[in-house]
Parts: sequence; C-alpha cells; structure tokens
Amino acid sequence: MRIKDKIEFLCGADEGYIGKMNCWQAVAPFSEQYCDFLAAVSEEIMNDLEAREFPDVVTFGFFCRRANLQRMKKEYEERTVVRQVSPVSPGGPYRLGRGVTFHIAPSNVPINFAYSMAAALLAGNCCIVRASSKPFRQVDIVCRCMAAVMDRKEFVWASLVVSIVRYGHDKEVTDYLSSLCDVRVIWGGDNTIAEIRKSPLPPRSTEITFADRYSMAVISSAAILREDNMERLARDFYNDTYLYDQNACSSPRLIYWLGNREDTEAAKEKFWGAVHEFVKGRYELAPVVAVEKYMTACRAALDIVSFRPRVVLGEDNLIGRIEAGCLKMSIIDYRCPGGSFFEYSSEKIDDLQHIARSRTVQTVAYYGDLKDMIREFSIKCGFFGVDRIVPIGKTADFSLVWDGHDLILDMSRIVGY
Amino acid sequence: MSNLELYNKAFVDGLGVEEKELPGLEYQAIPSWDSVGHMNLVAALEDAFDIMMDTDDIIDFSSYEKGKEIMAKYDITI
Repeated sequence: MRIKDKIEFLCGADEGYIGKMNCWQAVAPFSEQYCDFLAAVSEEIMNDLEAREFPDVVTFGFFCRRANLQRMKKEYEERTVVRQVSPVSPGGPYRLGRGVTFHIAPSNVPINFAYSMAAALLAGNCCIVRASSKPFRQVDIVCRCMAAVMDRKEFVWASLVVSIVRYGHDKEVTDYLSSLCDVRVIWGGDNTIAEIRKSPLPPRSTEITFADRYSMAVISSAAILREDNMERLARDFYNDTYLYDQNACSSPRLIYWLGNREDTEAAKEKFWGAVHEFVKGRYELAPVVAVEKYMTACRAALDIVSFRPRVVLGEDNLIGRIEAGCLKMSIIDYRCPGGSFFEYSSEKIDDLQHIARSRTVQTVAYYGDLKDMIREFSIKCGFFGVDRIVPIGKTADFSLVWDGHDLILDMSRIVGY
Repeated sequence: MSNLELYNKAFVDGLGVEEKELPGLEYQAIPSWDSVGHMNLVAALEDAFDIMMDTDDIIDFSSYEKGKEIMAKYDITI
C-alpha cells in the first residue's frame, strides 16, 4: 500500500500537492493575506448552523475573528519589541515563517487541531495537521467551513498552504510527513511524544512538544473573604476543573491557600461551599471516578510519612479534599480526575518552591492580586516549572503564548541579523 | 445607517431576534442569547463598528441596555 493511500485528506492540499508545499513560500507573521483567510473562516463558522451545536467550534470561530487577530498582532508586536527583535522594519519583515509545520493534535480534544493550525498560519507557515484519529463532528465542521472559503477565488491559494489529514497510528506515515517539515508540533501526552519521536526530523527542523503537566492554584484567603460574587468565582473554578473532568494539563490539582490561619479557615468554608453549590446538579460523578477519588484519598492517607495528610470527603463525594501538612514534590504523582484536590495553607508563598522546582508544573492559577508576586518569586528562585500564571477561570483559554512557548516566535525565524 | 440601527442590526443578525424584542433583553433570557449566541453578537458588533472589544467588556455585556453603555467606551454613542 502506498503511504499516501493510508492518509485521509480532509481539507486543503491533497495527495497530489502535500509533497509540493516546499515549493510554496513562507510569509511574515500576521501577514494580511493569511489573516484575511482566517477571518473568512471565522465568518463562515460563525454563520454555520451546524457549528452552533458545538460551543468549542464557535469558540474557535470567535478566536479567529478579525478583531481578535488584530489584537493578537498588536500583542505580538509589543512582546517582540521587549525582546528587541523588530517584527517589521521599513525595509521589510525581519521574521518569516520557518516553512512547513507538521502538527499532531491530541486524540481527546477535537478542536485543538484548528488552534494549532491557526498559530502556524499566523507565524507565516504552510501546515500539515493531523487531526485526532477518532472521528469527531467538530473536525468535519471546521474542515467543511474551511473548504467553502478555499473555494472562493481570492482564497484558492490556501488549499495549497494547509492540509488537514487523518490517519491511524502508523509510523510510516509519520516518517513521511516528518520528512517534509521544518517544525513539528506534538500535543502530548508523554507516550504520544515518545512514539512520534521515533520518526526522524530533517537536520534543521525543530520541535515543540506539549507534554503531560501538573497545575495548581494559589488563593488569597483575605481576597475570598472580601468577595461578594462567589457564584462567579465558583463558575470560573468549575470551568477550570470539573468541566474537563480535571483531565486538562492546566486544571489545578493543588490549592495553595495564602493567609493567616483564621482567615484561611473561613475562606475555605466560603469557597468550597460556593463550589459545592455550583457543582451540585451540574456535574455527574461517574462510579469509576468516584472509586478513583476514594482510592486516591486512601493512598494519600497511607502515605502519611510524606506529607501528613488529612482527608475531607463531603457526604456526596463531589469534592474530595486532602489537606497536606507539608509540601513535597511527590504530591505531583497523585493525579485523580473528577474533583480531587490537595490543599496546603501558609502565610507565605515560600513553600511553593517545594513543588515548583519540578519541570512538570505548568499553570499556576491565582485568585487575588498575586500575579506579580508569583512571577517574581518564580523568576527569583529560577524554577524549572511554572510557565503560566493566569487568573482562575482562564486556565484553559488558548493563547499564542502557551506552555512557556511563544508560538509565533518558535514557528518563525529571524532574517537579516 | 445610524449607530442605533447598526447596533440593533447586530442583535437581529447575531441572535436571530426581532427588533421589537430588543428593549430590556438580557443575556440568557432567550434561548438564542446563550454563550454561543453571545459570541455571534460580539463578532457582529465588532464588525459593524470596526472595534476590538476587551475581554472584560465582552463578559460584562449582559443586556441590550448595558451594551449601549459599553459601546460608549469605544466612542460610539447610541
């Protein structure tokens, strides 16, 4: 069987053209031509009746709308000025896309492939995107909307610049597509990354990997006591955790309470009360998850030497809390879906260092005016972990800076320095 | 078209409602103004007035009337 026969071409460059992407050209980040294409795709999605059934698809359409593209361009220019790499000079662009990017989207998040593609286009590349090998209607809808845009005379070129493909776990195909690319982008987990890395990359190609990560939240007890709108905070926290069954890398698993003992006790009661009120009736605890939560609690309780835990399981087991007497890196190994949280309380941020040194730590969500403090502390200590510091409620928001990578800079190169 | 006409048209197109339903209309009060409809509405408003709305304003945009106040921040009097 020929390699190309094993690939299902969903949209854009097909088997006749995929190998010829190298003949196309790279463009500057946020080129008008590529932004026009994404804005047209956005309009197509926003006006599509079938897309309306899928909030994740509409959210992607919303992400690509013209006003947001302009905003991201402005933010990119501000970021790069700080780094003293001028994005655009009077003489022409200093940066260009690296060429062809090859993306391996995760199997469990249907819409992820579309964001990865958009980032590669905004960086100025041609892109080959392997969508999840499982069939998802979301993938079909986005591909149908993109194909409709590519049918228009002014966007015919896009069908040579983008190729959305689907194929099973097949090393021969991955070998072939890897041989075409200048940047390979792998959305994990760790096993997928190990598997894909068996396929070699051309000598100059680079790779961006998004591995399995661990995330946490730091909450100011005083700020909780001052908060009037607990329902909004509970909703934000729910969206970070229960909505994805706590399976996202960016979902907080450890809550670090910051404040004096008295405030923290009162804040915990107020916070968990509001969360429980919100979760109840919205989240259905699957039996297998309930068992896993219970096992995690038992395992933690047995591991008493490590972090002196105290387990609090509510009557309905919707919220599982394990209070740790001290923080140790081994806490990262306790991962459990469906609303299982470790908690730690301190008057100072210093104990964060016991786990943030781990390169596994990704997102620190915060509540209260803590962003600068956490960032300064992380930089001062030189942690290998902590890439993102975002407010509670925003942990899952896709951004062009993700996991410590500036996707535009990492998928483009400097010309002329 | 006047600003009011543009503003109303964004609601009509974005949410599929009739103009006479607009006064007093609130987020989540009708099936079409859910979180998905909200994104349609914001996209329609941004296109109509050629503006970029801040995230906080997108979240605070909770009713037809509140929206008029928010538009004022972008120098659009309705």
